[in-house]
Amino acid sequence: MKRKLYDTITAYLFLLPFLIFFFSFLAYPIVYSFYLSLRKVTVETSFYNIFSDMKFCGIENYVRLLKDTEFWFSLLTTFYYGILSISIGMFVSFLLAAILNSKLKGFKIYRSAFFLPNVLDMLVVGIIWTLLYAPQYGIITKVANAIGMVLPQKGILGDPRTALLGVVIACVLKNCGYGMILFLAAMQNISPSVYEAAEIDGVSEIQKHVYITLPLIKPIIFFLIVTGTIGVLNSFTEIYAMTAGGPIATLFGKTYKATQVTGYYLFLQWERMDYGFAAAVSYVLLIITLIFSFVYSKILRWK
Amino acid sequence: MTEKNFQNFDLRQKVRRLLLYIIITSFAILVLFPFFWMILVAMKDEGEVFKLSLKLAKPFYKNFVEVWKNPYYPFWRFFLNSVIVSVSGGVITTFICALGGYVFAKKDFYFKEQLFWFLLSTMMIPGMMFLVPQFAIVTKLRWMNTYQGMVLPHVASVFGLFLMRQYMQTIPDEIIESARIDGAKELQIFFRLIVPLSVTVITMLFLLSFLFHWSNFLWQLVVNTPESDKLTLPVGLALYKGQYEVFWTKLMAASCYSIIPIVILFLFAQKYFIQGLTVGALKE
Repeated sequence: MKRKLYDTITAYLFLLPFLIFFFSFLAYPIVYSFYLSLRKVTVETSFYNIFSDMKFCGIENYVRLLKDTEFWFSLLTTFYYGILSISIGMFVSFLLAAILNSKLKGFKIYRSAFFLPNVLDMLVVGIIWTLLYAPQYGIITKVANAIGMVLPQKGILGDPRTALLGVVIACVLKNCGYGMILFLAAMQNISPSVYEAAEIDGVSEIQKHVYITLPLIKPIIFFLIVTGTIGVLNSFTEIYAMTAGGPIATLFGKTYKATQVTGYYLFLQWERMDYGFAAAVSYVLLIITLIFSFVYSKILRWK
Repeated sequence: MTEKNFQNFDLRQKVRRLLLYIIITSFAILVLFPFFWMILVAMKDEGEVFKLSLKLAKPFYKNFVEVWKNPYYPFWRFFLNSVIVSVSGGVITTFICALGGYVFAKKDFYFKEQLFWFLLSTMMIPGMMFLVPQFAIVTKLRWMNTYQGMVLPHVASVFGLFLMRQYMQTIPDEIIESARIDGAKELQIFFRLIVPLSVTVITMLFLLSFLFHWSNFLWQLVVNTPESDKLTLPVGLALYKGQYEVFWTKLMAASCYSIIPIVILFLFAQKYFIQGLTVGALKE
């Protein structure tokens, strides 16, 4: 008992630096954000003391948010973006891992090549892609024209039908190495004798992966979906660098920005100094995240 | 199997392998092409940007020098700021996570489980959530346009704590006990015993948090006003791109200053990056 008390004191002393930063910049903001979401910046708010001088306004920000079609459209865009990037990303990662797992020469070099872009700065990679995608003169347009493909006049990123897909392709090529490494690690745990037995039984290459590999890498798939979801709700930099939310699209007589995901929408509210409203957006985002984690944990338990 | 069937089988295998090599190599080219293009454009003259040629500027490093010395967008300063922010972010994160991870791995204390699950559960919250409240806190602390404003809100990494705990759990209890019997104090045990035994994971977390701060664009954009002298590389690049008509050769040369150091770091330490980034996923 005495030992545990002594250990408790030492433990919290060791944890103190971490906990100070954790509580001031991560735990407290969750509460503080809710406080801010019930307030708004008004004309009387002092510019030098904005956050202490916001006026209480009840749930006005939330009502405004729920009525804002731009917000709902951004949620739809985020959802669409998530489905595209997670499914395409996972497919590419799996394909690369499956190929690399068949004992190719230069395994390590390929593995490093695919993993490398993962560690690079998203903003810079995004800027490079805007150059590659440039309309008319960009290399992608030129190559596409040379093989007889017609790309949109304003470029892939300039056309509302293709812009989000353009962002997804850039991000998938940047991030696919991460999923690949995870899949590879799981596949290398599968004993080759299992595959050999299947080969003797005359199982085709694709069947082999569907019936043997897939069930064994399910945890990785689940992990990639969870982290992918968080990543998509967080997505901002790639949009900022490549499209700034644009181009404009028209749907049911209203205009929307075709790549404005919720993270970017939140940023714009911050930029307009509509801090109370932006805090309300963050809170709704938090609730959506909680719903997703609840659903995912149910699925995990059910399995 | 007859001899002929056997040869057919062998040939089929060879064709199949060749096909796999072609697919994987074209993918590798696709993945790395943007970086090749960045370097190529950075070495060209502005008029040559959209031409599919390998004609370089004279001298080929012209843009790199001009960007470095630009008086309005001093990239040497942005680079220096990025280094300061990333190194200090890496050091502080690693230090506080090592201290915390150690007690979670090796001590039995009150509310340990509850605290651990509370910390872990916050990992599910997207960082975007914290933008407004953290900005409000930093404004109130008068930390706008400062290094501490860019670094300190992002040093409490729950992932880092988890990584440290995982690793330090593998250190045998007996070593710690015998050090204690020899009269070592708690801090001595930590610095003289635990730290030397955890050099691998310490390097790993330092590199990962260095990387995190190197690319922590949104937060650095939010904490700095455009006239700040603390702008980091990505923020400087974004402002440079937004300001004028785009000079692609200069922009790509400036991009190289962000990408190439990380590529070099990766080539030397890829083992740490790969292990560190995958350890969380594979443990579950």
